[in-house]
Amino acid sequence: METPRHILTSFESALENLRKDVLMMSSLATRSVENARKGLFERDEDWCNTVIADDEEIDALEIQVDTAGIDIMLRYHPYASDLRNVIAAMKTSVNLERSADQAVGIARRARKLIALPQMPETARIAPLFEKSFSQFNDALKAYADGDIELARTIKSRDKGLDELNREFAETLTEMMPDHPDSIRGFLELIFIARCLERIGDQAKNIAEDTIYALTVKDIRHTQVEPA
Amino acid sequence: METPAPSHSPAPESRTDFISIRNFNFSYGQKQALFDITLDIPERQVTAFIGPSGCGKSTLLRNLNRMNDLIEGISHSGDIFVNGHSIYDPHIEVISLRKRVGMVFQKSNPFPKSIYENVVYPLRVAGQNRKSVLDETVERSLRGAALWEEAKDRLHESALGLSGGQMQRLCIARAIANRPEILLMDEPCSALDPIATVKIEELIRELKQEFTIVIVTHNMQQATRCSDLTAFFYLGKLVEYDQTQRIFSNPAQKQTEDYITGRFG
Repeated sequence: METPRHILTSFESALENLRKDVLMMSSLATRSVENARKGLFERDEDWCNTVIADDEEIDALEIQVDTAGIDIMLRYHPYASDLRNVIAAMKTSVNLERSADQAVGIARRARKLIALPQMPETARIAPLFEKSFSQFNDALKAYADGDIELARTIKSRDKGLDELNREFAETLTEMMPDHPDSIRGFLELIFIARCLERIGDQAKNIAEDTIYALTVKDIRHTQVEPA
Repeated sequence: METPAPSHSPAPESRTDFISIRNFNFSYGQKQALFDITLDIPERQVTAFIGPSGCGKSTLLRNLNRMNDLIEGISHSGDIFVNGHSIYDPHIEVISLRKRVGMVFQKSNPFPKSIYENVVYPLRVAGQNRKSVLDETVERSLRGAALWEEAKDRLHESALGLSGGQMQRLCIARAIANRPEILLMDEPCSALDPIATVKIEELIRELKQEFTIVIVTHNMQQATRCSDLTAFFYLGKLVEYDQTQRIFSNPAQKQTEDYITGRFG
């Protein structure tokens, strides 16, 4: 059954605009993670600089979402699903801003790696990128489409990403004694992997907030998968 | 409809069905206003009735002290029990029922008398003229209505000189002068400014220690602030009855969600 629109058109518009701003942030944050990946693998400093420059726009949107969310609560006193959607939008924007910050972190590390001789080990981080990026994309898709089932998959997938990050760091640490000239590069890669793991965490947070907004179930800090 | 668990446990001796409405139908002439209402209102809790205009919430409230009996052509079926006794029992006098069930209206309606005489009016009507009893009642009721400090030095001045908020608190004092068990409030703050509204809302929270309160309100923030339980009515039917926190955060019925989120067409 289709949800009827709000009688108060200004309330309807305010909610729509809030959602549009969060979706815009999603697009920008996704683009930043993707650009950071290009910068690293294509060894292209321009992509890295773009990520760093774009962060300002995402920061501004975060403030805009917060201001709009507070304004909606102040003016319209939302209840039930409306209240949960406003809260979810504000929390999602925080997670998107932090994800974009992680992309900036990757871009900065990538610039340092570009200045060093190319290392074959860089390719080893590709699966982490793929997993983190797909998890992030799916969390945002679940938020945008209100897809509970997709949101529910994120939490268990994040554990896999954590494990992959741990293995990656261990492998490179073990390789360090045999490759003393590459230690600096390895450390940059380990930090990049850490950023990707953090993006996975933000994706998990977004998925948890989406589930709360849609089902009123708070699954944060729970071990059991929700039914 | 079963009584939802209260948001916090009432005193052990409190009844969860202090007011028990059973299969209640009510009509104004040919027009049926209430349809098969069944709900239990717990003792010493605040229960809010919400819903759009014409949904029957005020009609039901006015049935709780048989105020609607004064209207010509009304009819009802089903029953309403207060503390286990039917209010329609032929042995019950309506006057004595209304002593047990006080009422506060949307617009404050002080009599053109002194503050003192307004409060003691129900006692005088009942034939009580002992000064000591009346004095005690005035102080107790005005204190109960959080008006004593403001009114104690002007008890014999006209009640019409009070502010709107003070007048409404005076009407609450008058309503509790007879020590009723139940206090019905029909949009008690709709004509008041925000400060006066806050005072009445605080008073409602204090009064529930002693009285079972049923409040009709269009103001949903007021329902969330004041009430323990909320009943949502639509077109004369009870749609949902639950803890206030649940009704306003995660209602079970789509009609309730549409109403409280302002989507009602």
